[in-house]
Amino acid sequence: METPRDDQLAEDLRALRPTPHPQFATELDKRAAAGFPRRSRLPRISFGRLRAVRPRRLLLPAAGLAAIAIAVTTAFVATNESKESEGGGGSLLSLTAPQAQESAPTTPPVETAGEEATAASGAASSNGASFSYDGSGRYSRSSDRLDNRSVERSAQIVLGADPADVAEDAAKVLEAVHAHNGIVMRSSTRQGAAGEAGARFELLIPSAKLNDALAALSAIDEVRSRHEATADITAPTVNVGELLQDSKARIDSLLGQLEGAETESEREAVEAELRQERRHRARLRAELQNLQRRAELSRVLLRIETGAAEEPSGGGAWGIDDALGDAGQIFAVAAAVAVVALAILGPIALIALLAWLTHRAWVRRERRRVLS
Amino acid sequence: MEQALVAEAKDAPRAGDLAFDRLYRSSRDDVYAYVASLLRDEAAAEEVTAAAFERAYRKRNRFDPERGEPRAWLFGIARNAALDELRCRGRQAELTAEPVDFDGASLDEDVAQSERRLAVAEALERLEPRERELIALKFFAGLENREIARVLGIGESNAGTKLHRAMTKLREACDGNA
Repeated sequence: METPRDDQLAEDLRALRPTPHPQFATELDKRAAAGFPRRSRLPRISFGRLRAVRPRRLLLPAAGLAAIAIAVTTAFVATNESKESEGGGGSLLSLTAPQAQESAPTTPPVETAGEEATAASGAASSNGASFSYDGSGRYSRSSDRLDNRSVERSAQIVLGADPADVAEDAAKVLEAVHAHNGIVMRSSTRQGAAGEAGARFELLIPSAKLNDALAALSAIDEVRSRHEATADITAPTVNVGELLQDSKARIDSLLGQLEGAETESEREAVEAELRQERRHRARLRAELQNLQRRAELSRVLLRIETGAAEEPSGGGAWGIDDALGDAGQIFAVAAAVAVVALAILGPIALIALLAWLTHRAWVRRERRRVLS
Repeated sequence: MEQALVAEAKDAPRAGDLAFDRLYRSSRDDVYAYVASLLRDEAAAEEVTAAAFERAYRKRNRFDPERGEPRAWLFGIARNAALDELRCRGRQAELTAEPVDFDGASLDEDVAQSERRLAVAEALERLEPRERELIALKFFAGLENREIARVLGIGESNAGTKLHRAMTKLREACDGNA
């Protein structure tokens, strides 16, 4: 057999050319005529259907969804911010209230059994104190009390009145305070023309009756503003209670040492230490009582104003300035949300891009290798 | 099939479809022959050929005439599909495939021609896959050297050189068979 020449070899190769089966060719022609309807070896799933959609067609819905998400997030954040700013006065009140409470007159505790019982009963009636006195010289945690938080509440009310009604309104305030077992810490009234006349009250209202008292006070005259605030003082209350328990244990120990003292000098030393520890215990008890009082009694600042109501800054009818301000705020929040979204989506997109590039490089390498 | 697959915007779908239809009709058997020579499995070749045309049809709007001829573009897609199939086989267990019958057409030839073509087929089987691919692109698919170069991503002269070497090797293998 002779070696085939080039043209003969080419002819032989063309003759060896594989040809498709007629049935396959017919089926493929049909599919071509039908526009190659997608077929899959695997059961069609929704993700596969999604992949069949052109990226450009996915772009618009995706952009719409992203825009809606950003708008909703912006609205949510903006709403929260406005609520927080509205509650800002309340927060200030809650910060100033403890100082006022601390300035309230307190009775120095005297270490007698009877007064301890009185203090204990006060603790028991506290609306959130976490420690109580069991009458046997021990402060103990009460499990049901641990469920309650020790919360200090405060409020500020501004009433508007005619100058002629200031005295009558002031009397009604006092009446309402007494009706709810409250305490008037300070009060002052001014008579005069509109804008000059007015009254000011610093009140302590039992926290359990605060809502009723505020309702009664608000009913006296026109309410121009009303703010309420709360502050959780559970942690300091628990802390002082624990220190008080430690101090009690220390005193018990010292009393035991005192009974066992054999010499006069030893006895005097223990007594000195005992006096010091009792003073410490008295301070702690006063502190605990103060905390309990802050939880039991809510501080209310009430002012009666005459004349035109003070418009808050930027108040009045909603105008162009307000609109621009609101628009600026919304724009700032939207920009912040966009930055946060970019900060989140950027790395994810970068990782996805790197993964895609790596996969593509790997596929190309494998394709090159498969023929090697 | 040198006509671009893109058309004027106003009648793009119909003109594009018609262009693709012409490409399909002129290339169907060529693509099958090329894929079958790579896979050496009739059933797999049919599957991959259909998949390649399906992919090409989906991507027909992305075809850029400036980057090459439509046939080169189509064979590039077919090549990737065939190589992906080979990759899948590599990851799976060895498949039992029926080899493509290369000498079926020679039944009616005279004995000398049949023997010669049988020797060529056997020599072709002994070539490296890359060499067999070059010969398949040239003689089974009927591509020009520049189209082969485009499909393989190499220069045209390089494609010609590689093809020449493959033919030389094939000829030597035929001599060995003889």
